[in-house]
Amino acid sequence: MSEWIRFWVVAVLLCIGVICYAVEVVGIFRFGYVLNRMHASGIGDTMGLLFIVLSLMIASGLNLNTLKILLLIIFMWLTSPTSTHFLSMVEMRTNPHLDRYVSRRKAP
Amino acid sequence: MKEEFRSWIMGESDPMEELLDFSQENDLNREERRKLTVEKLRVLQEDPDEQQKVARVRGRFTRFYYLVAVLSCVFLSCVLLFSISMLPQYGEENPRTTEVKDRYIEKGVEETGAVNVVSGMILDYRAFDTLGESHVLFTALICVMILLRIDRKNQRTGYEDYYTIRSDVYYDLSKDSILCTMSRVLLPAIVLYGIYILLNGQNSPGGGFSAGAVLGAGMILFSAAFGMQTADRFFTMKACKVTIFVSLAFYSFAKGYVFFMGANGFENHIPKGTPGAILSGGMILPLDIAVGCVVSVTMFGFYSLFRRGSIGMDVDYAHYSSKPGKAKGGRQV
Repeated sequence: MSEWIRFWVVAVLLCIGVICYAVEVVGIFRFGYVLNRMHASGIGDTMGLLFIVLSLMIASGLNLNTLKILLLIIFMWLTSPTSTHFLSMVEMRTNPHLDRYVSRRKAP
Repeated sequence: MKEEFRSWIMGESDPMEELLDFSQENDLNREERRKLTVEKLRVLQEDPDEQQKVARVRGRFTRFYYLVAVLSCVFLSCVLLFSISMLPQYGEENPRTTEVKDRYIEKGVEETGAVNVVSGMILDYRAFDTLGESHVLFTALICVMILLRIDRKNQRTGYEDYYTIRSDVYYDLSKDSILCTMSRVLLPAIVLYGIYILLNGQNSPGGGFSAGAVLGAGMILFSAAFGMQTADRFFTMKACKVTIFVSLAFYSFAKGYVFFMGANGFENHIPKGTPGAILSGGMILPLDIAVGCVVSVTMFGFYSLFRRGSIGMDVDYAHYSSKPGKAKGGRQV
């Protein structure tokens, strides 16, 4: 019985993660501008990764592998937003036609 | 004649300067170059004779290009198909390759003392090959240095100065609070992991090349987060030279010694240790460290050279930039 419950929990979490990634992929290919695409890719990088890793942790049970998978998600959650932050910074600083895409408040 | 040759060697004059007309144009800055290109195109559009001449030359060249492309493709396909026909059938035992592979797998641990068979292969059986690979990295670093390094001969060329050019300062994202905080958290883990796979290369997957890549990436992250000036405090030109020279010289001498004292299964007096321990595998651990040093220094050197054209602050920039256009030997505009 407990195996059965675990299987369904894992399956449901995995499906949610895959749906997140599907949303991400659709967004990346349908959006035209880099900041919109970054917004779409953020869904997969945070939620999709969270659900898939969570399901894998439940599937592997309590052992050393679980800890390693946990380290994986911590590492990804630390590095991925940093690199995204930098991509957007570079875009904001280098695009001369930024006002076509982004509405910014005028600096006082 | 002799004087011309000497000045060409010293980089003061270029005999091809008159023949190749791009040498002058490239010295201009972007705006003027764009104006020149627009002017050229305008002249070309107004002059039908010139247009015809260009079209004729271009057509001839295109035909020649297609001919050579087709011929070389056919030739290459023939060579490849011929060599494929010489390969053994799929699934058939090939004694020439399986012999070596079986030997490595069966006797590898016993002969090299390394649990990781790949480490035993690249640093014991085929250590000479790895020596060549390290020297390839070293040569690549030298070539990039030749092409990109800004020293006192070419640092003031009038159109580019990496310390005053606007973009480098403008796009410099170091000292960003998010990146600094993240680097403080991540850098110890990255460096520790690099050192771990460097020292554990003979027991687990890893070894010099991957550890060098991890350490080099850590150094790149450090310099990107805390600024190039911070990285200059420990990574100077002298440190780069000394590290690479000591590593390669140590590798050459140590492996040469092993070769002469008996390698590849012959008796030698270098202790192999118990397989699985940190100090096992004979010369594999020191050679791994040497390779790791070379790889990490090469990676960071590439980054530093591409980023700003120098490794460390090896030229007194303040002194030279105070006298614009007076640097010796560089081309003046």
